[in-house]
Amino acid sequence: MTTIETPINTTPSRPSMEATAVDRKRAKRRHSIRRGSIYILACIIALWILLPIWLIGTMAFSTPEDVRNYPKHFAPVPASTETMDFFLNTDGIQRAARNSIVVAIITLILSTLLAIPAGYAIARYLFPGRDAIRLGILSVRAFPIVVLAVPLAITFIKWDMYDKVYSLALMHTALTLPTTILVVASVFAGVPYELEEAARIFGCTPAKAFWKVVLPLATPGIAASAILTFVLSWNEVFAAILLTLTNRTLPAQILYTLDKSGDPFKFAGGFFMLIPSLIFIFFIRRYLFNMYGQLNK
Amino acid sequence: MAEIVVEKAIKRFGKFVAVDEVDLMVNDREFVVLLGPSGCGKTTLLRAIAGLGMLDEGRVMIGNRDVTYLPPKDRNISMVFQNYAIFPHMKVYDNIAFGLKMRKSPKEVVEERVQNAAKLLHIENMLDRYPGAMSGGQRQRVAVARAIAVESEVLLMDEPLSNLDALLRLEMRAELKSLLGRLKATTIYVTHDQIEALSMGDRIAVMKQGQILQFDNPTRVYDLPANQFVGSFIGNPPMNFLRGQVQRENGTVKVKIGDFHLSPSEEMVEPLQGYDGKFIFVGIRAENMETLASPAPDALAVMVEVVEPLGSQNLLTIRISEDILKVSTHPDFKVHAHETVYIRFPPAKIRWMDRDTGQAIAPSLDKVLA
Amino acid sequence: MKKFSWTPYLLLLPSLLYLVIFFAYPMYESFRLAFQKDSAILSLRDEPDENAELGGQIKLQTIVTILDRLQLEETLPNGRTRPIFWFQVEGEDIDGNMVTGWVNQKSVFIENRRTSETARVVAGEPTKEWTTDFAERMFNDYRFKRALITTLILIVLILPLQFTLAIIMGLIIQSRIRGSNIFLYIYAIPLGISDLASGILWYSIFTQRGFLNSFLDTVGLIDKPYIFIQASNREWMIAAIVLAEVWRATSIVMVIVVSGLQAISRDYMEAGEVFGATLWQRIHYIILPLLKPSLQVALILRTILAFQVFAVVVAITGGDVLTVLANETYRWYDPARYNNANVAAVYALFIMVLSLGISLFYLRAVRSQEEASKSV
Repeated sequence: MTTIETPINTTPSRPSMEATAVDRKRAKRRHSIRRGSIYILACIIALWILLPIWLIGTMAFSTPEDVRNYPKHFAPVPASTETMDFFLNTDGIQRAARNSIVVAIITLILSTLLAIPAGYAIARYLFPGRDAIRLGILSVRAFPIVVLAVPLAITFIKWDMYDKVYSLALMHTALTLPTTILVVASVFAGVPYELEEAARIFGCTPAKAFWKVVLPLATPGIAASAILTFVLSWNEVFAAILLTLTNRTLPAQILYTLDKSGDPFKFAGGFFMLIPSLIFIFFIRRYLFNMYGQLNK
Repeated sequence: MAEIVVEKAIKRFGKFVAVDEVDLMVNDREFVVLLGPSGCGKTTLLRAIAGLGMLDEGRVMIGNRDVTYLPPKDRNISMVFQNYAIFPHMKVYDNIAFGLKMRKSPKEVVEERVQNAAKLLHIENMLDRYPGAMSGGQRQRVAVARAIAVESEVLLMDEPLSNLDALLRLEMRAELKSLLGRLKATTIYVTHDQIEALSMGDRIAVMKQGQILQFDNPTRVYDLPANQFVGSFIGNPPMNFLRGQVQRENGTVKVKIGDFHLSPSEEMVEPLQGYDGKFIFVGIRAENMETLASPAPDALAVMVEVVEPLGSQNLLTIRISEDILKVSTHPDFKVHAHETVYIRFPPAKIRWMDRDTGQAIAPSLDKVLA
Repeated sequence: MKKFSWTPYLLLLPSLLYLVIFFAYPMYESFRLAFQKDSAILSLRDEPDENAELGGQIKLQTIVTILDRLQLEETLPNGRTRPIFWFQVEGEDIDGNMVTGWVNQKSVFIENRRTSETARVVAGEPTKEWTTDFAERMFNDYRFKRALITTLILIVLILPLQFTLAIIMGLIIQSRIRGSNIFLYIYAIPLGISDLASGILWYSIFTQRGFLNSFLDTVGLIDKPYIFIQASNREWMIAAIVLAEVWRATSIVMVIVVSGLQAISRDYMEAGEVFGATLWQRIHYIILPLLKPSLQVALILRTILAFQVFAVVVAITGGDVLTVLANETYRWYDPARYNNANVAAVYALFIMVLSLGISLFYLRAVRSQEEASKSV
């Protein structure tokens, strides 16, 4: 790729008018070639991301016959909801989807309620052990789920909590809590401390300042973090398949029946699981860097 | 009545002592400026008075009430923050009304005071807007309106103009001064800008390394700095400090700068006598010297190194052995680099400083009164 | 700084307690599952009661004759009761002498509790003893080595591709071309997509009647579908998994890279340009060194996650012909298959040790590099 020289000379020695015109043209062309090549590359990568989603969508909205057919169409013509209907009316799917939603909602409520005070403490207080706690939270976030799922399953069996929707939600809360705490902390850190001080100067107790000033300003960020929590729980499959037997969540149910089911079921299921993640990215786009960027710190 | 008294205030951050045994007395309705370079403890002291950071030792009294351990909301104070701290989720009206609402003032009072404050700051047509889209200057006005709407007896301001651009700052400075003059609040104003301090304050407390070096009215702080730091921190260019040697000669005292002999004013003769043979600093402001084109018996001949025309004055840079001297002259005084000029030091304008302590050498009190 | 205050600790307490319960306790359980087993010896009791005096000791698998039986009630932890049988048995003890005593039904296998004349001792003392049996069983399993190798191959292939692509994406976003925000959101879409969904997506491409074959067929490159995913085609299966993982998990690296790039002052880049550095030189000498801290974090995170790769593999290959460590964990745990939580726990711990080891290795490597550069 070519580079554009930034003009640095402040006292231009005036060359003839034609020469500058030619130079400008050449510089402009170099500039547009560079721009153009970046665009082409950007579009190729965008296509690489979008194409598989388009293809699975095509499958989900073709007739089951078209899904089984070969060679396949690359667009859903004729369009049909038959495949989706078939998937959604398969035994156990609606129940599994319901379980998934219930687990995800319990997870997001528990996780957010626990994370708000913890995130606030990390964002606002300097206290002995703060860095250790932060680091600890950061490292459990990278903890292998696999390690937790097996012993928890055994423990839940012992405590008569095995195969329960709420048990899985408890487990998912443990998995999402570190992330939620760090995201919520970064949201709180984004609310200037001066605002809180101003509230206290003008007559608020610390608790009231939190309620009147900090929380309203943090709400959009906390909502985004809750959506993230929801999606994390909705997507989680390893713990789900270990901790449940009859009360499968959607991914666990799909994974469990994968080798016994045909392509229409798989593709429709794959697409159905995508839906929340597509909505998710729309809602959290402003907070993208709150969520993942702060991993750097 | 709301005089503010700070006694033996100490505030540490780990090993760093931000406020070091400070005593400060601010009279009722006085406008006091805390001035100093960043890190000198001025903001920390202000926050201690506000109740936003508790002192490690000492106490704070507001209007004869010990408030050292009271939360901010119970101190009956109000404050303008450096970054304005306007609540972005509230309309301008609600921002200004915030303090009043927290105090549960009746609706009519809230309405009236908000309108008044908004009128004073010329933002009455913005009350329905959110602060998000407002400019820095407008936010500043909202912050000040919010602070004065509560009509508390104490108003604290933490570098309120530092985030404005130069032109706006100049405009707001004058407006703020006239506005605060009409209010009946005791005001403490923190800044690192000496011009703000000189132009606004009734008294200025110059701080350095957690201590107040001088607490006096602007003229005295400027003309009679208590020590070398105050002299060089205030004024642009800073006060000149030349090295001179004190010499006693049959009853009189002279200070030798190179080959040149300087005669101190009468009341300084006695205090300087103790420095016989020692080196001291001769402190003098750039505008207090007379520059002559031709020799005179009481003028020092010097070579000009640099001439900087600044419009309202010409600033000359002169080297006298190891010391650099800045002299300001009338713009009509024509001189070029490497030319010789003659400088006269009016003894009354000289501030003598002890070279070891950096403190001003002052005549004993009875001499001054006499 | 404020005076010491308990407030932050109180605010953190619920979360920390929760994490301790759900992380520390399972860790402890995990160790017990992996390295403890029931004692191989059963002590008989003098009376039909768990607290009675201990009598003779019988080895596991010994056949005993039943002399007498009693049906008693047992109280469960949740307060309910259930019937439990106690048997008076006679059998050979560890020294070869005949002994008699009482055991309850949990320790013996018996055809019929009311009528059978003999039983087999199947459970030992409730006390546990340390063992490496389960670990040995894992290491000696023929699938272990294959799972480990496949997992490592996947990591070695996926991570470099991911990081290269993520840095390219990051540079595109950072070049501030018009619409770069739209590209950012498109590139971020896979953030919320699960590994299972991604696996199914790429299965739809690589399966025999999938999109890849359809495309090659339409273009005329092949006459009949090529079977990418079959036992003899390991390379293609691995390629499909790599593509699915790169497609899905590059986004998070990209976001980390972009936020790292945003922290780099544009001045550095412009300084580089002014002094005549080409794009490649700027990337090599300015961007990458400044981006290093972000990349390290992303690398540790991605490596740890890559050790747990599971659903993608199962979705694309079925998990039988090609297996990975997490899949083996599930296979051993699955009640419908091996039903052995102990070996599953060993697998889980093995994955954890690998992840920790790699993270420590990265951190150590980074530190020694930093020290080296400092001493220069």
